[in-house]
Amino acid sequence: MSQANLSKNQKPELLNVENRRKLTWVLFLLPALLVYLVFMAGPLFDSLRLSLYTGKGYSPTEFVGLQNYIDLFTVPLWREKFFNAIINTCIFFAIHMTIQNSLGLLFANLLASDFKGRNFFRTLIFTPTTLSVLVVGFLWTLILNPNWGAVNQILTGVGLKQFALPWLGRENLALPVIALTSVWQWIGMPTVMFLAGLTGISEELIEAASIDGASEWEIFWKIKFPLIQPVIGIIAILTFVDNFNAFDVIYAMAGAKGEPAYSADLLATLFYRTGIAGEHPTGIPNMGMGATIATITFLILMSGVLVWLYFSRRNADEK
Amino acid sequence: MQKKLFAVLSILILASLVLTACGTAAPKDVTLTLGSWRTDDVAAWEAITTAFHAKYPNITVKFDPTNPPDYNATLRSQLETNTGPDLFFVRSFGVGRELFDSGYIASLKDLPGINDTFSAGARAPWATDSGEPYAVPIAAVSHGIFYNKDLFAANGIEVPTTWEDLMAASQKLLDAGVTPFANGTKDAWDINEVVMMQLLPSAVGGYDGRMAYLNGERCFNDPEIVSAFQQIADLRPYVPAGFEATSYADAEQLFAQGKAAMFFDGSWSIGQIKKDATAFQWGVFYPPALKGKDTYVSFHVDAAIGANAASKNLDAAKTFLQWLETPEFAALIGNNLPGFFPMTNEIPSLTDPIANDFMNFNKQAKGVDIRFVWEKLMDAPTDKVNAYTSLNNNVISVLKGEETPEEAANAFNADVAAWYGPASKCK
Repeated sequence: MSQANLSKNQKPELLNVENRRKLTWVLFLLPALLVYLVFMAGPLFDSLRLSLYTGKGYSPTEFVGLQNYIDLFTVPLWREKFFNAIINTCIFFAIHMTIQNSLGLLFANLLASDFKGRNFFRTLIFTPTTLSVLVVGFLWTLILNPNWGAVNQILTGVGLKQFALPWLGRENLALPVIALTSVWQWIGMPTVMFLAGLTGISEELIEAASIDGASEWEIFWKIKFPLIQPVIGIIAILTFVDNFNAFDVIYAMAGAKGEPAYSADLLATLFYRTGIAGEHPTGIPNMGMGATIATITFLILMSGVLVWLYFSRRNADEK
Repeated sequence: MQKKLFAVLSILILASLVLTACGTAAPKDVTLTLGSWRTDDVAAWEAITTAFHAKYPNITVKFDPTNPPDYNATLRSQLETNTGPDLFFVRSFGVGRELFDSGYIASLKDLPGINDTFSAGARAPWATDSGEPYAVPIAAVSHGIFYNKDLFAANGIEVPTTWEDLMAASQKLLDAGVTPFANGTKDAWDINEVVMMQLLPSAVGGYDGRMAYLNGERCFNDPEIVSAFQQIADLRPYVPAGFEATSYADAEQLFAQGKAAMFFDGSWSIGQIKKDATAFQWGVFYPPALKGKDTYVSFHVDAAIGANAASKNLDAAKTFLQWLETPEFAALIGNNLPGFFPMTNEIPSLTDPIANDFMNFNKQAKGVDIRFVWEKLMDAPTDKVNAYTSLNNNVISVLKGEETPEEAANAFNADVAAWYGPASKCK
């Protein structure tokens, strides 16, 4: 009897104030969800769909199943280009990960201590980050120019003429040099994030450690470093995502083909050339293959992020 | 507030509807857009379209160029979404042909006068195999070596008449502490298009020689091709110290600042060099052939204009295309764009002396031909390397000393033979 009453009352209950309040959050989510679906998820799935088609131009119509994927891994020309791009992207990422992020940590430590002109240096180190990548790429191309660039003129001036190299023209130099340019530009990012992490550490901990007789070095490795580990994780994953998507700095300094001889070709430039611009001088794009490269880039990125999520979750649970 | 806004908007919409209605009511006045990859030539094209408008007051042509590297892709997406320009520049051979085969370019087989104004050779890059034209050829470009007359005089050098003389002159310049050639390889395309493909016609014997390769009568690694690669190797001591990282724009600056004595380039740079190289006298000569060979000039078909098959004003567009056949247009393009040469049978006299020098190359040479790889050799399937890319990579390797001329020619031959039938059966 009472049960029957309950079920009768259930329907109006959905509309009562208490329950409505519980559901309002859905309404707040809707606009963002809509934007996300239309502008992010939609194109993403369309790109996945496109990778199963082939044809010339911007609307490939011929369905070929997984043939693009098979070609990418088995046809020598595609495989060579693709693995070259993957290896280059890994080198590009490794240079950022080691040099940019360890220098960022060093600078953050220096900037966290109290000294005159601290704010000036904090601003200075962040300034290149605010510039356009194309501007930075163009400036560094000029600075590194073998005919009138400042770098080679200085090297020649101090008697190191043998080191005045065509920096962007050698196959073994171009990629590291461009990566270092990019490090120069983006170093402000990890610095600021590490700085925020370091200033968040309670003074008392450090004071206690130094009273116990810990040296600066020990304080850094035993107190500060473990406490900023979550920041390190975030920076690592951001560097990973940024670098596996990197395009603009290569385009500005080595062109869409990653000259010389594809030695600076990254996944994104390979994708751009294949799927959007086509290669000079014919310029006929292959959208299906472009989408295939984009999809694989997406899978690489997703697996990286999943690994990071797994470890950061596990760390959080342990605590 | 909202009501007011609504009222204003509805008035605006109504007004625009009425205005467009007026536009269609008087069909005589049409505006055509003209797509192009020549962003540098906006002023010159304004002069040309103004002259056309003076003749046909009811048709206005608006020149609307796209950044050159993006042109092919942009045009294609416009045509596919039916937002393409009424008229547009069409690339020669494969790239343009592909658009015609896809139905985006109107056929011009009924355009009056097209067969009389242009030779079959001039029409061929924009016609089907059976000779059906789909674009009106408007401009060809030539090639040559710009040289610093002051530096030549100071070192007692005359314009050379054989390749061996040119190399001797280069050595003389190098000994005097002058960089002989400004060219580098950072941008890759220029060493291919303005150096190698400028030397190839003389090396292989012009049009007939090129046809022998296309028909499979000669192999792409025969002694003639090796000799052209050898010429690239000859240049190695005479390019700038950091040539690997010297871009096309850097090279132009090295020449214009008097730091390098010579610059392999195309006729399209006349205007730019005139603007930049003001401190010395300069001129142009064609790279002479190896001793015992005849000189053939690389006179390359560059641009034609076609009509959008889906244009609402196809008749007006065809009126414009027909006007492109007139001597009036030929004179306008030759004189407004020094370095671009009309492709009509009758060539008007040009006012620019350097442009005339380029034209004289054609008269003095044994013959002229287009760039070596343009016809047929760029249509490789997507999983093979086309002849342009292969030639480019091998030329750079030879200049850097990573490959001998023979190795480069063998690699080039292998790349082409991998997909181009006649090359795989060559003798």
